[in-house]
Amino acid sequence: MMNKKIGVYICHCGGNISDYVDVEKVKHSIENEDGVFLVKTTMFACGDANQKEMVDDIKKNELDGVVVASCSPKLHLITFRAVTERAGLNKYNYIHANIREQASWAHSDDKVGATITAIHLVKAAIAKVRLAKALYPYIITSKKAVAVIGGGVAGMRAAIELSDMGCPVTLIEREHFIGGRVAQWNLLFTTKETGKDVVTKLYDNIVRRDNITLLTGSEVVASSGNIGAFKLKIKKTPRFIKEECHKGKLQEAIAACPVTVADDFNFNITDRKAIYHNFPSEYPQEPVIDMKNCTRCGECEKICESVDFTEKEKIIDIEVGSVLMATGFDSYTPSEGEFGYVQIENVVTLPQFKRIIELNDKKLIFRGKEIKNIAYIYCVGSRQIEGDNKYCSRYCCTSAIFAAIHTKSKFENINNYHFTRGIRTYGKQEVLYAESLKKGDIYLQSYEDDPPVVNQVNNKIKVWINDILTAKREISVEADLVVLVTGMVPRADNSVASLFKLPKGRDKFFNEIHMKLRPVETVIDGITICGACQGPKNIMESVNSALSAAAKSFSYVSKGELELEPIIAKIEKEFCTWCGACAEACPFDAIKLVKDEKKDIAAINSSVCKGCGMCLPVCPADAIDLVAYSNKEIECMIDALAGE
Amino acid sequence: MADINPGFGKELKKFGAFDFNACYNCGNCTAVCSLSTEEDSFPREMLRFSVLGLKDDIKSSLKPWLCYYCGECSTHCPQTANPGELMMSLRRWLTAEYDWTKLSGLLYRSLPLTISAFILLAIVVLGFSINEKFNPETIMLFGHNFELLAIVMVLVLILLPNIIRMWWFIILKPKIKIPLSKYFTGLWELILHMFTQKRALDCDDNKFRWFEHFVLVLGYLGLLFTTVVLDWFSSDNLVVIVFGYLLSIVVFIVTIDFVWRRFRKSGEISKYSRPSDWMFVIWLFLMGFSAFMVRLFIDTGLIVNNFWMYIFHLTILVQWALIIVPFGKWTHFLYRSFAVYFAKIKG
Repeated sequence: MMNKKIGVYICHCGGNISDYVDVEKVKHSIENEDGVFLVKTTMFACGDANQKEMVDDIKKNELDGVVVASCSPKLHLITFRAVTERAGLNKYNYIHANIREQASWAHSDDKVGATITAIHLVKAAIAKVRLAKALYPYIITSKKAVAVIGGGVAGMRAAIELSDMGCPVTLIEREHFIGGRVAQWNLLFTTKETGKDVVTKLYDNIVRRDNITLLTGSEVVASSGNIGAFKLKIKKTPRFIKEECHKGKLQEAIAACPVTVADDFNFNITDRKAIYHNFPSEYPQEPVIDMKNCTRCGECEKICESVDFTEKEKIIDIEVGSVLMATGFDSYTPSEGEFGYVQIENVVTLPQFKRIIELNDKKLIFRGKEIKNIAYIYCVGSRQIEGDNKYCSRYCCTSAIFAAIHTKSKFENINNYHFTRGIRTYGKQEVLYAESLKKGDIYLQSYEDDPPVVNQVNNKIKVWINDILTAKREISVEADLVVLVTGMVPRADNSVASLFKLPKGRDKFFNEIHMKLRPVETVIDGITICGACQGPKNIMESVNSALSAAAKSFSYVSKGELELEPIIAKIEKEFCTWCGACAEACPFDAIKLVKDEKKDIAAINSSVCKGCGMCLPVCPADAIDLVAYSNKEIECMIDALAGE
Repeated sequence: MADINPGFGKELKKFGAFDFNACYNCGNCTAVCSLSTEEDSFPREMLRFSVLGLKDDIKSSLKPWLCYYCGECSTHCPQTANPGELMMSLRRWLTAEYDWTKLSGLLYRSLPLTISAFILLAIVVLGFSINEKFNPETIMLFGHNFELLAIVMVLVLILLPNIIRMWWFIILKPKIKIPLSKYFTGLWELILHMFTQKRALDCDDNKFRWFEHFVLVLGYLGLLFTTVVLDWFSSDNLVVIVFGYLLSIVVFIVTIDFVWRRFRKSGEISKYSRPSDWMFVIWLFLMGFSAFMVRLFIDTGLIVNNFWMYIFHLTILVQWALIIVPFGKWTHFLYRSFAVYFAKIKG
């Protein structure tokens, strides 16, 4: 080990380093270090010529340790690891010393000091490379199957994409009908399709495929395992209606049901029966019996033989290599009294309003009264000064304006008044705003600390605003209906995410690793996120992210095996006396208790461990080491840094 | 507090405004306007009032009159909301609001009604001439007396009450206190602007248009003076005759250019012409031209066998004096100057 033949390259970085660090002096002061066989200075270590020279040096001299003293490892660690690999040396025998950011740039006012610091940094790197060992990635098998959780547009589109790539998919939807929120939208901007059209297209595509298993009324109730081998337990609640059924009879059965409950598909503005479907031709087309509200009176059973109360809840176990989360969002529910919500009858939310437009023909009637003047109040539940929802929900300006235009074209004599905090119809959606202005919609604007006020006076609803577009004049409008343009919030029941320990951001939506560069991966290996469960998105943005999540999930399972980074924690069995402190400290749930020769010890799941090192300092027996960052290696480096 | 009146937009569109709803309040129009000041900023504010239908605010505002329509705002509007034309429409609407007889509004809104009024007056003049058996002497004497009478009557019955209404909307109703002395000290401003439209000079690239307009106003007033006071058509004084010729030439030459520009739609100001705009420039042209021809016919002796020329002139004159002056675009001459005057005394 001490006889390692080490090659050291010291980079000028053009002048970035050599302007402040005396590169030749660094060279001279390390030439006689133990094991150093060769030291060279170079104008640009990363240059092609130097890389070639390094490969030749390693091969010719049979070097078994290499150090490059240059820039940050973020820039060129991988470059020089690749150089050693090309020369036939295991890449973990390469150590990087950062003398640009840490010496030259940091101490440009003190050339002597910068040079001394550089010498210490290079000596520390040499100390580490002396102890470096060849390491090899862990290979684990990865089951070629993906579970997609959530059957909205994002989940369905991702499932189709995975299926196209030849990957078996289990598509798990909690509701009895697929389509999620989009099924509840009617006309959509910009394609002028309806939400139903979009959902139907996706559903028709899905049922054609043999490699997609669609489970409705199903929830993941337990999860174990890790990337490559997630074991999911799925609870499937029955529809209580047999697969083959006579449709006409079923309609009669629905009519016969004596139970009426608020219809949450229509955001509670209408009622439905305990046996129901949301709209004709909805998918799957069979209705369902809602057992929470069913009184078991048996009226439907008398009419239709397809009704089958004996159907039982099923538990399905599956194993997949990756999980794709597309669990969507909830619409913000205003609190009682927020802009008169609940307290004033004709104050509704935007999703409710969309259902009202859909459910009316010719005349817009709500609660028996014809609606002519509509006031829209924007940013309800979004961009709050106080509260969790500081974010902009992105879709609502466009959605509200589109609904307003749609209302004007569907019904006569409609006046739209928009009480905004500044319109954000970004991108192509701006044309909608222009169209609505030209159609005579009136826009008023206020600041966040001075919101509009909704009041009911003698059965008339009035909305007041200090309009900043009219020099903060107090302006009022009499409205027949007030629409609260509510934003997106995370699902109220996100229990499925806690099964996987998925981290959430400050806004309580699921968090990606890097918003820009790794937008669909999570810190839990093998689990990807897409759609509005990650944050407010419109359909286009949801589908975009769904496709990239599908590609990412597929990359985990496509080869049938996975190479994992070897730099992870390791338990020294003889010292471990299992106290559990490491398991508690581990943010990835990678440490478990195992029995080993009659002794309880900790064991690291190498597929899950990320080598973060959180377990090391909490171990009272000092029984954990991090591969490539062992105590011995770190101590030698400290000695070198603190030495002469 | 003010209530929104969404119906106002429709009303205003009958006075020529269009697409002003497209405004998204960027304020470019106000920024490029060379007449807009921090205290009196327009046209965005006027657009906003129009969109919201705040009639009282528009009625008590002088801003529509402080704009001289260079069209820069419309050129620079990213939404093509045409603020310039909106200001023009507001001036038409205000003219109708100031008019106590409400005839202005009727004529602005309805072209058939306007044409009927013109035809009716032509028939009256023709009927009168037939009744007088086309006797040049009695008819020309009547014409001269009509001019005098029309000036006095229109002034006393229509224009003066309307100016008082304007004063009511702008000063009295909003309860603005102005010391009496200011009304006198501001008079110079009124006269200066009435004859020079000095303010329009501050519009960018507007020097030639201003000069033409200035010459036309002087020519028109001069011709009025020559025919009414100096009795040009009956005068034997060579100086008066030549003076009359010159003034009538000025009037019809300048108006030819005005008509031609509206016809070619050159520049923002001439792009959108309402019937009231066409009639104003065409009748002014016909006034100058027919006066010139009448005097020419007199001087060449042609008038004896071609008395129709005078009857034609009289028809134009009657239509001008009874429709365009009291209820048409002519009034902008008064309202603009009084707007500057009121703005001055409001301080």
